[in-house]
Amino acid sequence: MKKLLRGLFLLGAIAGAVYAVRGYLQGRPPATENVHIIFDDGSVRSMASNTTEGQEFTDIARKLVEVGL
Amino acid sequence: MAERSGAGTAQDLDRVLANLRALSDDIESCAVLSGDGDLISSSHEPGAERERVGAILAALVNLAERVARESGKGHISQLRIDTGGGHLLMVRLDGGGVLAATTGQDARVGLVLYDMRNSRGEVEKVLAEGSDE
Repeated sequence: MKKLLRGLFLLGAIAGAVYAVRGYLQGRPPATENVHIIFDDGSVRSMASNTTEGQEFTDIARKLVEVGL
Repeated sequence: MAERSGAGTAQDLDRVLANLRALSDDIESCAVLSGDGDLISSSHEPGAERERVGAILAALVNLAERVARESGKGHISQLRIDTGGGHLLMVRLDGGGVLAATTGQDARVGLVLYDMRNSRGEVEKVLAEGSDE
């Protein structure tokens, strides 16, 4: 039983490490929410830059930050 | 620099934006886009670059309004985007226009938005006076 648990733990650790290394090598940005919209009813919607919608906002905003308004 | 140089509106708008920049030194540039999608005031001189900036800003406003519609909300009130190299901030004005600003990455964004919200009333007042003329 003890041997089996140790094996499972090791397997989990290896899978986690493989996932982390793959993400690093693919250059995937961390999933931080960097688009925040506040609506006129006071509700908030946040989007991460690695989502399609969030990417649309950040791509346009990046151009404006680069050239200025 | 505002485009409608004939009216007092342009100078008044430039003065309001200059006050905003003086109040919040984290602001690198700011602009006012009308509800019709015209760039009324900008740091760019009239020309191709200014038109390009106006078109990009209008596209961003349309995108945000589309998200509001799809979310079943009325309109956006405020937008904050962290691009990794700086922030783009936007506050909606009465009539569908926006007051927008860019800052550096380390800017105190909350404080800048606070100053923008405080200036919003003055910008709206100037625009309303301009449309009355």
